[in-house]
Amino acid sequence: MSNNQTNSNPRDIAGLVMSSLFIIIAGIALWDTTNMMDADSYIFPRALAITMIVLNLILIVRNVIGMSSDVVQPEKKGASTVRRVALTIGMLLGCAMMPFLGFLISGVITFLILMVIAMYRKWTTKTMVVYPLIAVATVAGFYLLFSKLLLVPLPIGILFE
Amino acid sequence: MPGIEYLIEALTPFNLLLALAGVIAGTVIGSIPGLTATMAVAVLVPITFSMEPSSALLMMGAIYTGAIYGGAYAAILLNTPGTPSAIATTFDGFPLAQKGQGDLAITLACIASVAGGLIGAAFLLFLAPPLAEVALAFGPVEYFWLAVFGLTLISALSEGNLLKGLIGACFGLLLSCIGIAEISADVRFTFGNQVLLGGIETVSALIGLYCIPVLIDLVATPDKHLKVTHKSKSFRFLEALGISWKKKFSLIRSSVIGTLVGILPGAGGSIAGLVSYSEARRTSSNQKNFGKGEPEGILATESANNATVGGGFIPTLVLGIPGTPPDAVILGALMIQGVRTGPSLFTDGGSIVYTFIYGLFIATIMMLPVGLVVGRYAYQTIITVPKALLVPAVAFMTMLGTFAIRNSISDVIIMILLGVIGWILNRFGYSPSPIVLGLILGSIAEQGFVQAWTLGSATGEMGQMFFGRPISLAIIAFICLSLFYPVIRKFWRGRKAGGSNV
Repeated sequence: MSNNQTNSNPRDIAGLVMSSLFIIIAGIALWDTTNMMDADSYIFPRALAITMIVLNLILIVRNVIGMSSDVVQPEKKGASTVRRVALTIGMLLGCAMMPFLGFLISGVITFLILMVIAMYRKWTTKTMVVYPLIAVATVAGFYLLFSKLLLVPLPIGILFE
Repeated sequence: MPGIEYLIEALTPFNLLLALAGVIAGTVIGSIPGLTATMAVAVLVPITFSMEPSSALLMMGAIYTGAIYGGAYAAILLNTPGTPSAIATTFDGFPLAQKGQGDLAITLACIASVAGGLIGAAFLLFLAPPLAEVALAFGPVEYFWLAVFGLTLISALSEGNLLKGLIGACFGLLLSCIGIAEISADVRFTFGNQVLLGGIETVSALIGLYCIPVLIDLVATPDKHLKVTHKSKSFRFLEALGISWKKKFSLIRSSVIGTLVGILPGAGGSIAGLVSYSEARRTSSNQKNFGKGEPEGILATESANNATVGGGFIPTLVLGIPGTPPDAVILGALMIQGVRTGPSLFTDGGSIVYTFIYGLFIATIMMLPVGLVVGRYAYQTIITVPKALLVPAVAFMTMLGTFAIRNSISDVIIMILLGVIGWILNRFGYSPSPIVLGLILGSIAEQGFVQAWTLGSATGEMGQMFFGRPISLAIIAFICLSLFYPVIRKFWRGRKAGGSNV
C-alpha cells in the first residue's frame, strides 16, 4: 500500500484508457472461456470477466459525467524515467543471459549493470574497486548458498556445459 | 499442566541448541524474498533424520516459526513479503518504515510474533484434540466464504477508490485462473503458451507486484530508501512493548484468529494475517491510520501468522491432516521417522508430542532475542548501504528467490513484467494489494465455489449448501460486519449524537 500523497482528478483521460484496456482484457478472457467444455472450468472466470466489464463501464460512466474521485500519484520531482526503464531492461537482460552464461556470471553482470544505473554519487577510485568486489562477493555468496547448501539447481549455462 | 516432566526433557542443552539453531536458520531463510517457510523446512528437514523424533520435531517447529517471523523483515524494510504470510505486514510495516520508524516496526513485529506463537502453542498444548474437529467441520463452501471474507479487505486496501480496488481484485482473480484448472484440468488463458501452463506462481507474483515497483522508484531519484528520523541506538523494545500492551486485546484476538485459521487445512498464514488485519482495522479506534503505518496493523498480522504455527500442528498431530504447507513437510518427516500421527499420539507418544510442544514454546521465546538482534542488523544494513549497492542486491535477491521456487527463468521474467504492470497500475490509482489478494484467494475461492456448486446441484439444495450451514452463516455475518460496519457505526454515532442533542 502506498503512502504517497495523491491528487484527485474529476475527469481523467488516462483512467478512461485504463478502463478500456481492462474491458479488452476481460473480453479476451470471456472469449477464451467459450473454448472450455466443462462448466467447472468456465463458470468462475466467466463471472469474473463479466464483473470486471461491468465495474469498468461504471468507472467510465463516472469519468465521463465528471464524477470520478480518481486517485493519481504525483510524480516525484526530478525522477529519472531513463533509469527506471534501464533497471527493467537490465533485469530482463539478466534473465536472457542466464541460460547461456549461467546464473553466476549473468548474476555478476546484472549486478554491475544495475549498480551503474543506481549510482548517483561520483565514481571514485575507491568505489570503482570496492563496489565491483562487493558485487562479486554478494553474487558468489548467494550462489554458493543456493546451489550447494539449499541444493537449488541454478543454471550453469550452455557455454560451460 | 499436561506432561510437565516433558518440559524438563525439552530443556536439555541439546534441545535448546536445536531450538536456537532452528530459529536462527528459519529467520534468515524467511527474510529472503522467495524463500518461504515451506522451503525453509523442506531444505533443512534432512538434518533431522538422524535425530530422536521429539528433537527432530522440535527443530522443524523452530525453523518454521523462525521463517514465518523472518518474512516480516523484507515486508517492513523493502515492501516485499519475505513469505506469503507477511503480505498484510507490508500494509502498515513499510509505511511505518518510510516514516523513519523501521526499527520500531521490526521490534513490534518481533513482540507480536512471539505473543502469537506462544498463544498458538498454548492452544496446541491444551485444546488440540477438541479443536482438531474444527478442521473436519470446514467443507468447500466454508472455504469459499472464508476466501470472500479475505476479499472484503479490498475495501480497506483501495485507498478511497473501492471501484478500482474491485477491478484490481477481479484482475488478480483472473490471473489466478491462468494455467490448468485444478478441478476440471481444462487449460485456461494460456493462449498456446506452454510457459503459462503451470499458472502464475503466487510468491513470484507477490515479489513482482510489491518489490519491483519499489526498485523502479528507488532507482529514479537519489533520495534515501528509508527516512531516518533519529539515530537508532536501541531496539526500542520498551516503547514497542508499551504499544503492544495497549493493544493487548487486539493482539490476543489476532492470535486466536491465527490459531483457528491455522487449523484449517490449506488456509495458512497469509489468510490468517489478512483476516486478522481486517478484524483489527474494523474494531480499531485508529481506523483511518491503517495502511499509513499503524502499529496495530503490524501487531495483528504478525501475531496471527505466527499463531498459525501452533494452530497448524493441531490437525497435523491429531488427525494426520497438515494444517499448513510446512506441516505437510513435517508430517512427511515424521512418517519417515516411523511416528504415526493421530489422537493416540497424545496418549501413547506423549514423550514425542509434549516434548515438541514445550520445545515450541522455548523456540518461540528464543525468537525474541534472535529476532531483535537479526532485525536490528537487517534494519541497519538497509539504512546504511549505499543505493548503488542496495538496488542491485535487492534486485538480484528477487531474481534468485523467484528462480528457486520452481527453478524457472520464465517465472523470473513473469515476476519482472508483473512488477512493471503493478507499477503502471499503481500510477493510475490501482493499488497492488487487491490484485495480490485476488491472486492468493482466487484458487481457494474457486475450488470452494465449484465444489459447493457441484454438491448443491447433485443434492438439489443449492441455497442450503451456500447459506444453510452454521459455520458458513457465521462467516457471512463477519463478511457483512466487515463491509457495513463503518456505515453502521456512523449511523449509530449519528443517532447517539442526535439523542444527546435532544
